[in-house]
Amino acid sequence: MAVSSSSFLSTTSLTNSKSNISFASSVSPSLRSVVFRSTIPATSHRRSMTVRSKIREIFMPALSSTMTEGKIVSWIKTEGEKLAKGESVVVVESDKADMDVETFYDGYLAAIVVGEGETAPVGAAIGLLAETEAEIEEAKTKAASKSSSSVVEAVIPSPPPVTSSPSPAIAQPAPVTAVADGPRKTVATPYAKKLAKQHKVDIGSIAGTGPFGRITASDVETAAGIAPSKSSVAPPSPPPTPVAAKATTTTTNLPPLLPDSSIVPFTAMQSAVSKNMIESLSVPTFRVGYPVNTDALDALYEKVKPKGVTMTALLAKAAGMALAQHPVVNASCKDGKSFSYNANINIAVAVAINGGLITPVLQDADKLDLYLLSQKWKELVGKARSKQLQPHEYNSGTFTLSNLGMFGVDRFDAILPPGQGAIMAVGASKPTVVADKDGFFSVKNTMLVNVTADHRIVYGADLAAFLQTFAKIIENPDSLTL
Amino acid sequence: MALSFSQTSFTRPNHVLGSTGSVFSTPRSLRFCGLRREAFGFSPSNQLALRSDRIRIPSRKSFQVFASASSNGNGAPPKSFDYDLIIIGAGVGGHGAALHAVEKGLKTAIIEGDVVGGTCVNRGCVPSKALLAVSGRMRELQNEHHMKSFGLQVSAAGYDRQGVADHANNLATKIRNNLTNSMKALGVDILTGFGSVLGPQKVKYGKDNIITAKDIIIATGSVPFVPKGIEVDGKTVITSDHALKLESVPDWIAIVGSGYIGLEFSDVYTALGSEVTFIEALDQLMPGFDPEISKLAQRVLINPRKIDYHTGVFASKITPAKDGKPVLIELIDAKTKEPKDTLEVDAALIATGRAPFTNGLGLENVNVVTQRGFIPVDERMRVIDGNGTLVPNLYCIGDANGKLMLAHAASAQGISVVEQVSGRDHVLNHLSIPAACFTHPEISMVGLTEPQAKEKGEKEGFKVSVVKTSFKANTKALAENEGEGIAKMIYRPDNGEILGVHIFGLHAADLIHEASNAIALGTRIQDIKLAVHAHPTLSEVLDELFKAAKVESHATTRTVSEKVVV
Repeated sequence: MAVSSSSFLSTTSLTNSKSNISFASSVSPSLRSVVFRSTIPATSHRRSMTVRSKIREIFMPALSSTMTEGKIVSWIKTEGEKLAKGESVVVVESDKADMDVETFYDGYLAAIVVGEGETAPVGAAIGLLAETEAEIEEAKTKAASKSSSSVVEAVIPSPPPVTSSPSPAIAQPAPVTAVADGPRKTVATPYAKKLAKQHKVDIGSIAGTGPFGRITASDVETAAGIAPSKSSVAPPSPPPTPVAAKATTTTTNLPPLLPDSSIVPFTAMQSAVSKNMIESLSVPTFRVGYPVNTDALDALYEKVKPKGVTMTALLAKAAGMALAQHPVVNASCKDGKSFSYNANINIAVAVAINGGLITPVLQDADKLDLYLLSQKWKELVGKARSKQLQPHEYNSGTFTLSNLGMFGVDRFDAILPPGQGAIMAVGASKPTVVADKDGFFSVKNTMLVNVTADHRIVYGADLAAFLQTFAKIIENPDSLTL
Repeated sequence: MALSFSQTSFTRPNHVLGSTGSVFSTPRSLRFCGLRREAFGFSPSNQLALRSDRIRIPSRKSFQVFASASSNGNGAPPKSFDYDLIIIGAGVGGHGAALHAVEKGLKTAIIEGDVVGGTCVNRGCVPSKALLAVSGRMRELQNEHHMKSFGLQVSAAGYDRQGVADHANNLATKIRNNLTNSMKALGVDILTGFGSVLGPQKVKYGKDNIITAKDIIIATGSVPFVPKGIEVDGKTVITSDHALKLESVPDWIAIVGSGYIGLEFSDVYTALGSEVTFIEALDQLMPGFDPEISKLAQRVLINPRKIDYHTGVFASKITPAKDGKPVLIELIDAKTKEPKDTLEVDAALIATGRAPFTNGLGLENVNVVTQRGFIPVDERMRVIDGNGTLVPNLYCIGDANGKLMLAHAASAQGISVVEQVSGRDHVLNHLSIPAACFTHPEISMVGLTEPQAKEKGEKEGFKVSVVKTSFKANTKALAENEGEGIAKMIYRPDNGEILGVHIFGLHAADLIHEASNAIALGTRIQDIKLAVHAHPTLSEVLDELFKAAKVESHATTRTVSEKVVV
């Protein structure tokens, strides 16, 4: 079996029969600690809550980059038992391994929310930790309500808001190949089911296009808005037939390789990008450019920079706020027959990483405050560089931001990623001579932004209005800090 | 080998382990092949020389002399028989017995109604190994991460189905020829036709050829078992017999039974691009393996692959694809028999185990009654008749007796019988027979599983200890980027007896023999731990186990070191 043995986690001989041995090669030891979050309801002042919290939730940790849920193998500690920092509390089984999970805090295991043998999604509360013995009872009552409330807490993608436009929810006719005898149940292939779970797609909502109307992996990938991954198996090479001959003629048309040139096969990421780019050709796009005065923004940036705010966060926040006023630019058209307004404004930001390109997503960019957004962004970039982004952290974008300003590029044109309504290309902000309406010249920092949009759903006036709003926000950036 | 046949929906008479046998027999319902001495078959002339050297019979003419000498030595009545030994069935079991019989100087004939080699060579272990060799390479080439970690670049790997199928077929042909030649060269008469028992020491083969022999071995093997309600059409609903021809690679195939056969085929099909759905009657996949091994194996062989599964269900009805409809599989709850689900897939492989092939053998002529088709035998493979008494001069080995449905077990039983008929009492220790499943990575085992050993220890009042090691601790495995795997040994800390060894990892099937030999020879841990293993090799995985075991008694054999000095 092919194995990534980057971590030499268990180079020691595992002779202790009671130890939980990990065979997960991709798990790094640093991930082995419990994630804690305070259970005190978040108030408007988020800083105060960490101080007051005495009862902490123990969360299902992400033990591997592909882990979406974990199973509790066993609780090492029982309810009411005292815990010391660094002690193992619970054994969790991920998709790859059984791992001991340790506590970061001293305290008491007040309540077990998820019992042995049960599964919980990554990030869900599996137990409660009380700081003092006195709080155990309080925690227990909390646990009783927790088990139900945590379910509610789970982010369930809400359906797009129904607009006044004619309902697009007309059931598509079933594929003709299927013999329609009564209500048919959903048939999905094993890999399709796996992908749906991984990408949190409701398999019941997908129309199958495979043989006999079954849902295949590519149906799920389409529904999840991601490029079909490179098929892991090249199809059996076809026997030499006229069909194959056609394929070979196209290849022979290619100019021969120059001497000394080398062929480098695509990596998975490059294949995905390539596939996406080809797919983008089927979308009719147009572009609208707009100059934006950034003097006020630059001044604001200088002020908030020491607090850890990045330019990316500022731009994402501004775009998010503008999108909130122009939902059509945040919409997406997936099948060419209808379009959906996205409930969340998720700004994907293009990042060049070693040998590739990835778009970590700032979710709810319009709602989060600038500081949180900046913090989130740093976290995402870190994950992107270490290739630990979860799928929802790079494929849930509804609008993309691409900034090449730092290279001195003054304007450029971006390709619209499939499944999104628009992408914004941001150039450098440069001192520019401008004339105002009274004819006075002045030098102002000006940045050119250029938005590429899907003309099936976004029209010129929509985009122009959006850009105007965006420019206003940038030119009067006080609203960004609210 | 390993087409293995774990039978979950069908239990087998259990002679293996006495009281704990019931636990044991289900897991061991497997069929594996180990070809005995096929190496000799590659060059007939060479082989003859080797052989004759060993048994001191320069040509066939001198057989008679030896045979009679042997008979006399046995104290047999001076009655003249056509042969000393007749074997019905030229599979791996019959072949193993025949070769050993020649070595013992017996005049031997083997009767085959189909093709030499039987299930293992033609429809089992051998061709499946060819397919698995392909799947292992495909898997490796497709694993970009794996290749990259070696610094290798490979563009998309592809395959030609017919080429893969031809490889399997060619291998079977080659091994079959080797087997045939090895017997011919030694002077074993290969008689063609269906054989049956006419009476004591009398056998009929073909239309009306009647021959006599001092002893008779039945080695007729088994056929794929197809449960009721399943319609096999050989195209979309198939058994391992059809699957090994690899006439198609369906997009989605359901595999009924998650034992060895099912697991190995899931490895082949997923590597070639199919998606697989397992249907397992028991509550968990891979029943019969040590629980810890099956848990890890599921993580590596099932979860990350394009496989899903239904456990605790029977496939009560399977209809082949026809009239534009897919293959339909009706599932019922294994306990309540309530309908549970219906699956629509492109193909279904029935891997629910093997049924003995004992019909029309003329067993009624010697008053033998089969049990669910199996021929009852004692621990020396002597056939037991309907009254519970032994039938003189009649033996049954291999799948037909159902003791341990593995090719190499059949061969070992055959050799044991030959030892007995040539005057040396011999009882085969079935607990020392290893088994392997040739997935990627491989799984192998010998002896008891941890729960079985604990149960036995409790009953007989001894302590049971377990040691484990990871392939991640092995240099060679890491060099191959194949650190995924575990080996565990179950043993008695009081006297150092090895009770069982289970390996999941690179080349596990080859590694198990150090443990199975130790069990067969009664070697204790405190002795074998002093033996040296070349570094760096995978064999150090077992070395690690031996050295990590905590045994109370000390090394017994000083002779070992003395011998080494020579």
